[in-house]
Amino acid sequence: MPPKEKVESTEQVLQAVILADSFDERFQPITLETARCLLPLCNVPLISYTFEFLAVAGVQEVFVFCCSHSDKVKAFVKNYEKTSNMKINTIVSQELMSVGDAMRELDAKQLIDTDFILVTGDVVSNMKLDQVLEEHRARRQADKSAIMTMVLKKASPQHRSRSVGDGSLFVLDQGSKECLHYQPVKAFKSTREDRRMTMNMEIFDKHPEVQIRNDLIDCQVDICSVEVPALFTENFDYQDIRADFVHGILTSDLLGKTIHFHEVTDVYAARVRSTQMYDAVSKDIISRWTFPMVPDSNLQVGDCYEYRRGLVYKEKSVVLSRTCVVEEKVVIGANTQIAERAVLSNCVIGKNCIIGANVKIDNAYIWDNVEIKDNCVVQHSIIANNAVLEQGVTINKGCLISFKVTVGANTTVPAYSRLTALAEGEEDDSDAELISDPAVVGATGRGRSFTEAEGSDDEDEEEDPKNKQVNMLAFDMSELLLAAREQENSASDFESEASDLEEDQISPEEELDREVAATLDPLELNTLRMATFSNFLEMRKRVIPGVLKHIDPVAKPGSGKTAKEILSRWGPLVGKMIHDVDDQIDGAHVLHRACASLFQDVAQAQKVFAPALRYFYDEDILEEDAILEWYHSKRSQQGTDTEKKLREVATPMIQYLEQSDSDESDEDDDEEEDDEDSE
Amino acid sequence: MSKNNELVDDLVAKLKRRQLVGSSAVAQATLKLLIVVISKNNWTTCNQLLNIVKSVGQRLVQANPTELAVGNIVRRVLHVIREEFREAESSAQQSSAKNQSEFHAAPLTTSSSMYNLLGETNSIPDDNVQYSSSLRSNIIQEIREIKDELENIYDSIKNQASLQIHSNEIIMTIGRSKTVEEFLKMAAVKRKFQVLVAESAPSYSGQDMAVELSKAGIETTVIPDSAVFAVMSRVNKVILGTHAVLANGGLVAISGTHMMAAAAKHHSIPVVVCTGLYKLSPLYPYDEDSFNVTFNPDSVLGFEEGDLIDKVTVTNPYYDYVSPDFVNLFITNQGGHPPSYLYRLIVENYDPNDHTFDL
Repeated sequence: MPPKEKVESTEQVLQAVILADSFDERFQPITLETARCLLPLCNVPLISYTFEFLAVAGVQEVFVFCCSHSDKVKAFVKNYEKTSNMKINTIVSQELMSVGDAMRELDAKQLIDTDFILVTGDVVSNMKLDQVLEEHRARRQADKSAIMTMVLKKASPQHRSRSVGDGSLFVLDQGSKECLHYQPVKAFKSTREDRRMTMNMEIFDKHPEVQIRNDLIDCQVDICSVEVPALFTENFDYQDIRADFVHGILTSDLLGKTIHFHEVTDVYAARVRSTQMYDAVSKDIISRWTFPMVPDSNLQVGDCYEYRRGLVYKEKSVVLSRTCVVEEKVVIGANTQIAERAVLSNCVIGKNCIIGANVKIDNAYIWDNVEIKDNCVVQHSIIANNAVLEQGVTINKGCLISFKVTVGANTTVPAYSRLTALAEGEEDDSDAELISDPAVVGATGRGRSFTEAEGSDDEDEEEDPKNKQVNMLAFDMSELLLAAREQENSASDFESEASDLEEDQISPEEELDREVAATLDPLELNTLRMATFSNFLEMRKRVIPGVLKHIDPVAKPGSGKTAKEILSRWGPLVGKMIHDVDDQIDGAHVLHRACASLFQDVAQAQKVFAPALRYFYDEDILEEDAILEWYHSKRSQQGTDTEKKLREVATPMIQYLEQSDSDESDEDDDEEEDDEDSE
Repeated sequence: MSKNNELVDDLVAKLKRRQLVGSSAVAQATLKLLIVVISKNNWTTCNQLLNIVKSVGQRLVQANPTELAVGNIVRRVLHVIREEFREAESSAQQSSAKNQSEFHAAPLTTSSSMYNLLGETNSIPDDNVQYSSSLRSNIIQEIREIKDELENIYDSIKNQASLQIHSNEIIMTIGRSKTVEEFLKMAAVKRKFQVLVAESAPSYSGQDMAVELSKAGIETTVIPDSAVFAVMSRVNKVILGTHAVLANGGLVAISGTHMMAAAAKHHSIPVVVCTGLYKLSPLYPYDEDSFNVTFNPDSVLGFEEGDLIDKVTVTNPYYDYVSPDFVNLFITNQGGHPPSYLYRLIVENYDPNDHTFDL
C-alpha cells in the first residue's frame, strides 16, 4: 500500500479496468478448467503482467471483470493484492458474454468517476502510460468530445507478435492525432465485406492529410473517459470494443464524439489472444524485449530466477544432470529435475517437473508438475499442469495437452491434437465419467480428444474456419495458402454474378437483413429503419423477401404456410412500407425479383408470385397503374429466365387490367418509368 | 517482522521495476529506509535488530540483485550496529568482558564458524544487560554519518583531482558518470586539459557527458567507441566511472569500459577509477555475467524489424566486467588506493558475517 498522503496529493485516483475474460474459445480445452488470464506465461500467470504494467503506470485502483472460472480468478487476485500496492476489486458476473456487456455492467454499477485505463487481462507491455495519460487529459480539457485514446504500436505486417487473425486498418490524422475510421481485417477474406472498406468521404474534406495504416499492433490499451461505459449502455448492441464501438462511434454523425490514438515506438506491447500469440509473446519475454518484465526480475513473489548466458533462466533449486544439454532460450522453474542426455531448446518448463533421460523438447511450453518419462519427444506444443507422458511418447507440433492427461507409452500424438482429461459435458454436470480414447492416448493413457462444441458461438458460426486455424499454435501459413486459393476462386465467381445493387451493400445493411427476417413486426421494423438510417426503399427490399421466405409452395392449405395464409398475415406489413405510386412500382419490382431469387424451381416461383401479385392488387397495396407500369418497364422484361417466366405468369392479369381501362396509353408511362428506374 | 512493510514494499517495487536506478540514488534510498526501520521498530537485543535489518536487506537485494550498492549500504549499517552494541556492552560490563570484545573487534581473525561459536556467548548479550537509553540514538547517529558521507561523496573525491590531472594532458573517459564529471570539472578550475569521451553505444550516455563537460569550459571531443583504440596512443590517462567495485578490485562498469581498459593496458596508459566507497562490494565475481544486466535489445536491433528478430538472438548487456589487472588506481572518498588494497577497505567497512543476508 502506498502511504496515504501520496494518494491525497494527486488530485484523483487513477483507475483501471481489466477484462479478465477473453470471450472466445481459442485456448480450449485448457480454458475449460481454468481462466485464460491465469495461464502461466513463462511460469508467471498472465494477469500478473497486466497488473505489473498498470502498477508501473501508477494505477491505484483496479477493477477486474471476470466471468468463467471467476472463483479461481478471485482467489488469485485476493492473494496478489496482498503484495501489491494497488487496490484490486474483482467483479464477477456470469452473464458477461462480451466486452460490451462488461462495459454496461460497469456503467450500471457506477464504479468509475474519472478517466480510466481499459485493458484486457492478457496484455504484456513495458510501456509507460504517463505521456498518453497526459495527452488524453489535455485533449479532454480542450475538447469534451474526445472520449477515448487508443495506444497503438508500430510493427511490420509480418511481425511475429502480430496476431495473424486479428488485423486492423486504421485511418488516422497525424496532425490532430485523431482516429477517423476503423476496420477489422481478417486473415482470410472469404466474403465481399471482408475485403471492402467503406468510409465516409467527408473525412477527406475535414482532414487535409489522412493516413490509412495496416502496420499497427492494436494491443487494446485504451484510455477511456467516463462517457465510454455510458455509450455502451446507450447502444445496447455493441459487443466488441473495436469492431462495434470504435467503428460505431466514428461512423455515427449523431454522437459527435472523437477517438484519438497514441502511437508508441521503442516499447513492447502485445496481447496473448491466441495460442499462436502465446508462443510469440513467450519468446519475446525470453528474448528480453519486454525488459524489465523478464523472468529474472521475478514478478511473482517467491520466484528466484537467474539469468545465464544464452538467454537461459533457471531457478536455484533446479537439478540438471551432468549430461543434459540446455540450449538457448530456456526457462526452468523451481525444483524441476532434468535427467541425463535430455536436450532442451526454446522452451519453458514449469515448477516441479520431471524430465526423463533422452527427452528432446523443442519450442514447447510445459507447465507445472508435468512428468515426461524417458525417450519422449515434444515439439512446439503446450502441455498443461500434471500431465504425464509415458516412455517413448512423441508429441507433434501444435498440440494442446490439457490438465492431468496421461499419454500411454510409445504413442505418437498427431499434429494439432487437442487432448483433455475432462469427461464430455462435464462443464454441465460433474457426474459424467471420462471415457478415455485408447486410439489417441494409448492403451494406458487417460484422456480424450477434444472437439469444439458445435454452434456454441452463433456469432462466429459463419466465420471462415481458416481464420480460427491461423491462430493456432505452430500453424504454418504455407499449409493453409494452398487450400485458400481454391476458396478464393469460387468466391470471385460469386462476386461477378452479384447484381449492381447488391454490390454496393455493406455489412450493417446485411445485418439489418438478418434482423428484418427475424422480427417482422411493423413497429419494430420502423424503429429498426430509423436506427440504421435506412429508407423505405431499403426496407422493402428486405421485408418482401422476408415475408416470401415463409411461404412453402408445396404446403397444404391449413398448414399455415401456403401463399394465401402467409400473405393474409404479413401482407399489411408490406403495405406499411408502400406509400405512393413510385413505391408501388418499386414494390412490384422487388416482389418480382424476390420470387425469382428465392425459389429455384420456376413452377414453385410461379405458384408464389401469382397469388402474391393478386393479393397485393386485391388489397390495394399495388394499384392497377403501378402493376401496368411494372409490367411494361424494360427492367421487368430483362433478367434471368425465371424472372421472364414469372412475368409471363402475370400476363393474363395484365390483359384483364388493360381491358378494364383501355383508354390509357402505355408508351408515355414506359418512358417516365425508365427515368424513375435510373434514379 | 518489520513494522514498516509499506515503505519496504514501496522501495522493493521501485527497485524491481527499475524505477529507481543508479548506485547513488539507490544507496541513499536504502539508507533512508533503514533509518526509519531502525527507529520505528521495537528491539532490545543485538540479534533482534540485526535480524530486522537483515530481513529488510534481503528483500531489497533480491528485488534487484544487480544494484550492488543496496547490499553494500545494508552491510555498512549492520556493521555499525555490531560496533555500537559492542561498545555499549563493554561499557555495561566494564571489567572482564572488555578483553573479549576487543578480541571481537578484530574481525579478520574470526572465521565465520568460529565467530558463531563465540557469538553465542559474547555477541548475544544476556537479557539482564541494560543498555543505556542512548544506544538507539547512537546507532541512528552513526548511520546519519554514513548518510552525510554519501551526500558529500563528490566533494571528497573531487578534491583529489588536481593531484591526478596535470596541465595539457589528454584524458579519456566513457559514458556518463556523475563522479567523473565532478572530478574533471574540479580539475578544470585549476588546469587546462583536453577530454575525449567515448559515446558508449547503444546508450550513448557519453554524448550527455560531453555536453556537460563542454558547458564547464573543458575542451571536449566525442569519439565513437570504435575509435578508442586508435586514439589511445595519444592519451595520457584514462579516467573511468563505475557501477560497482567487486571484492577482487574488478569493476562492473558501463559497456565499452572493458575495451577501453584493455586498449589502455596495451598502450601502458594508467587507468584511474573514481568511485565512492559505497560502491565497493564484498562480493566476488565467480562468473563474468553474474552482476550484469541485459537490457531490451530494442536499441541494438529495432523490434519493428519483424522478420529478422525471429532468426537472430540479440543481447544488449548494459555493463562490462573489467578485471582488476586493468585498473591502476582507485580514487575513493578516503583517498587513492591500488586494487590490491581493496581487501583492507572491505574489512574495515563490512563484517564478514554479513556477506550473505541469510537469517
